[in-house]
Amino acid sequence: MLKNYFLIGIRNIWRNKVFSAINIIGLSIGLACCMLIYLYTMDELSYDKFHANKENLYRITSTIVSPDGSKNETGITGMMPGPAFKNSIPEIESYVRIQNEGLTIRHNNEVYDQEAQYVDENFFRFFSFPLLSGSPTTVFNNLRSVVLSEELAIKYFGTRDAIGKTLELKFGEDFEPFEVAGVAKTTPQNSSLKIKVLLPMKFAESRNKDTEWINFYLNTFVALKPGSNITAVENKFQQVFQREAAEQLKVNAEKYGFKEKVSFGLQPLLDMHLSTRFQAMNGLYDASNPVYSYILSAIAILILLIACINFVNLTIGRSLKRSREIGIRKCVGGQRSQLIVQFLGESFIVSVIAFGFALVLVNLVLPYFNTLANKALSFSYLFNIKLVLGYALLLCVTAFLAGFYPALVLSGFNPVKTLYGRETYGGKNYLSKGMVVFQFTLSTFLIIAVITIYTQFNYLTRYDLGYNDKGVAHVSAGRMDKAKLDVLRTELMKHPGIEKVAADQGGGWITGARINNGTDITFDYKYIDETYLPLFEIPVIAGRNFSFPLDTANGVIVNERFVKKAGWKNPLDQEVDFFYHNRKMKVVGVIRDYHYASLNETIQPQLFTFHPSHSYNDVYLKISSGSLAGAQDHMMKTFKSFFPFRPYSIKFKEDENLAAYESEAKWKQIITMGAILTIVISSIGLLGLATIAAQKRTREIGIRKVLGASVYGIVRNLSLDFLKLVLVAALIAFPIAWWATNKWLENYPYRTEISWWIFVSAGMLVTLIALMTIGFQAYSAALAKPVTSLKAE
Amino acid sequence: MIELKNITKWVTNGGNRVFLLKDINLDINEGEFLSVMGPSGSGKSTLLNIIGMLDDADEGKYRFLGQPIHELKEKQRAQVYKQHIGFVFQAYHLIDELTVYENIETPLLYQNTKSSERKALVADMLDRFNIVGKKDLFPNQLSGGQQQLVGIARALIAKPKLLLADEPTGNLNSKQGEEIMAIFKKLNEEDGVTIVQVTHSEKNAAYGHRVINLLDGRINHHA
Repeated sequence: MLKNYFLIGIRNIWRNKVFSAINIIGLSIGLACCMLIYLYTMDELSYDKFHANKENLYRITSTIVSPDGSKNETGITGMMPGPAFKNSIPEIESYVRIQNEGLTIRHNNEVYDQEAQYVDENFFRFFSFPLLSGSPTTVFNNLRSVVLSEELAIKYFGTRDAIGKTLELKFGEDFEPFEVAGVAKTTPQNSSLKIKVLLPMKFAESRNKDTEWINFYLNTFVALKPGSNITAVENKFQQVFQREAAEQLKVNAEKYGFKEKVSFGLQPLLDMHLSTRFQAMNGLYDASNPVYSYILSAIAILILLIACINFVNLTIGRSLKRSREIGIRKCVGGQRSQLIVQFLGESFIVSVIAFGFALVLVNLVLPYFNTLANKALSFSYLFNIKLVLGYALLLCVTAFLAGFYPALVLSGFNPVKTLYGRETYGGKNYLSKGMVVFQFTLSTFLIIAVITIYTQFNYLTRYDLGYNDKGVAHVSAGRMDKAKLDVLRTELMKHPGIEKVAADQGGGWITGARINNGTDITFDYKYIDETYLPLFEIPVIAGRNFSFPLDTANGVIVNERFVKKAGWKNPLDQEVDFFYHNRKMKVVGVIRDYHYASLNETIQPQLFTFHPSHSYNDVYLKISSGSLAGAQDHMMKTFKSFFPFRPYSIKFKEDENLAAYESEAKWKQIITMGAILTIVISSIGLLGLATIAAQKRTREIGIRKVLGASVYGIVRNLSLDFLKLVLVAALIAFPIAWWATNKWLENYPYRTEISWWIFVSAGMLVTLIALMTIGFQAYSAALAKPVTSLKAE
Repeated sequence: MIELKNITKWVTNGGNRVFLLKDINLDINEGEFLSVMGPSGSGKSTLLNIIGMLDDADEGKYRFLGQPIHELKEKQRAQVYKQHIGFVFQAYHLIDELTVYENIETPLLYQNTKSSERKALVADMLDRFNIVGKKDLFPNQLSGGQQQLVGIARALIAKPKLLLADEPTGNLNSKQGEEIMAIFKKLNEEDGVTIVQVTHSEKNAAYGHRVINLLDGRINHHA
């Protein structure tokens, strides 16, 4: 019996090559998308699960509530909570602090920038990271010991067997020798912690003991005793904090006006990777937002659904052809349930074939998908019983989804009607029409989404930032004071292609001061020199730019937003009081607001100073167009001679600005791919339906032609039915898309307008695609000679 | 074997009942060879389908081998006709995607006959109708007469007591038609298969023991 079903299934697939191809192509793509997303999601959910004690590991989180009620939640703490909580709370078995540090390493007279982490000594007992060499218990016994990852051992020493070898690490102005005490096995991909270079925390503490509670820059993990009550532990956190930090809090309040309320909490290690509330940052990696998984899954499932719809529509559309077989089978004793099994079997065969193609497809596109999703997925890496079961389930669900409805309809045919040709297949067929509408609604929606994302992306990247980032090179040089900067500048400008050189302290810094004798104001703070504003062509709209040495003592420049926030009518000569440094400054100039950060953030009050004690770090060079190639060499030589122990690398401000929109660029690609696949699969489905419609109406077309209808008339006649559906789809998609794109754009403080042309062009595009698909079929049907088509009946 | 009492069937067309069959009373004995004649639209095929349990009557009683068919549920009815009834159609109605062998085998599959037994039965049937050489061909590779032979072979494979034939020679030339009728006659006489055939042809009708004429859904006793 099954063999019989199988044979007829295969022969049916083979005889209807066009329809089988449509089904198999669609289902393969849909299945491949779902497989990829399944891999992706499995990877996302597998993060940090390899730790033996994973159920009992938590991270300490901090919540800071301002007097105005605004809340700042973060997954980081200072040095104090770990040891203090461990000492007072019996549920805590142990803790590990992990602090990120940018190191400069010297080895064989080469200097490297290296990201490293300070960790507490019990790191390798706390987490389950295997050591290739070295003992988990003693590896950090020595104050100046270092553990390297496998890759870095090979990078620096050319071998994994690096124990006992020495690296020189730079602290202050000196290099100190550190001995390699352990080599850690390559960290699994799905780990939030990535071992690179580990140093003992006690070394950091020996250099600078930090006893501040109100300080947030490192990750503290704790292992709780199994079965501990989380809320109880968190309550104890507050008690310990209030007790031990009481003195500090008092001083902070008196001296700096610190009124914020701080509390600590626990976050399960396994929740960390996908947490948007307490992200995995500051030395933890790959923090992900589950919304990515949701959106990707939704797109993949919809694509598969559209392919299944094709299967359903085409099977039912062609049911007239199969109806005779069904009648015969019923006549010779086939029962409805047996026929349902047969038809489900056929959809299963088609799905299995599509599944095979999908596996190949996934293997082909995996590298591309990996770059897109920033992952390193592969079948082998995630291969386990869950993957196999997941895929098997996917296959069965697809076969069922595609086959169930047609099986139900086809098996219900009445043999008398089918065998005597009395069945009237006219019908309104609302379901089939509804499904076409659904497919094209989705297509239209995605086209609108794509156009909106492109428009917004262009808007962001071409927006006038209020300064000129063209031709500005950016070098992270190293600490220098004003005097050294001036010498460096003179040296650099010996090359005629370098027009201006300026510097700032590097990195963002948000701080506060007191104005109008009482109000505290928070602002973005930069140390700059006198060339900074001219180099970036930031206009000074009141007062003047800094001049040396006139303003070095107490001059500040602020932006318009600062003036507005301060409520000054005459900003010049207003006083800004850095009360905690006992220094009163005066406004000498106001600049026009410019977008110092990405457009994902609004402009905040900004303040610049120009003090001789400032140390600068980052150097900006304005290079005249066309002279970059010539200037590069001079730049490198100069920086190398000024900062021999700094790795030299050059970036361009324009690229850095663009990099801020990396996630938008990715989404642009993902949604575009999704839209293209949706449209392709919907269109081939429509092609199939148009073919069936043309076949069914062969006789009608023949009669019309005999009666004198033109080819154009027939094409119009055949196309109009489908075009109506596409137009309905567009009308349904418009309001949904309008709502969704608005919602998405609300995330951006600077956003493009959603204008009518997006909708019109999306509607026109979908109509055009549909028209071409149907028109082709309609045209060839209209060209057929009436003699042949009428005889065929 | 077959008792039909007041069998009536209608369709509703624009609010009016159009009778396809009206008060048909008919008994058919086991071993009988009955020919049903009548003009197009007189209800011949409808009657055949009701006897074959492919269709329901709207009124009346139908007993088959003593069982009240009109009282049976769909599944039980299928069980009855699967075992006892074979169909032969004017348009042959072979499954295009199956070979001759597989077409003949199909009814056995629905009766869950064992594989070895199926092989023997199909081989027997192929031999009987002299179509062993054609067993791997598809229906569209056969002539009309050959297709109808396959159709008959399929109808007989499950050893039915009743063979229903709806204009079995309607699409065949006269020579092929005669061959088919000869087979029917032999089946009826030698194997004792009860046959009900619908036909337009007086000549073919004459193969039967008894002829009934239908006109406008009633048995016309005056013909």
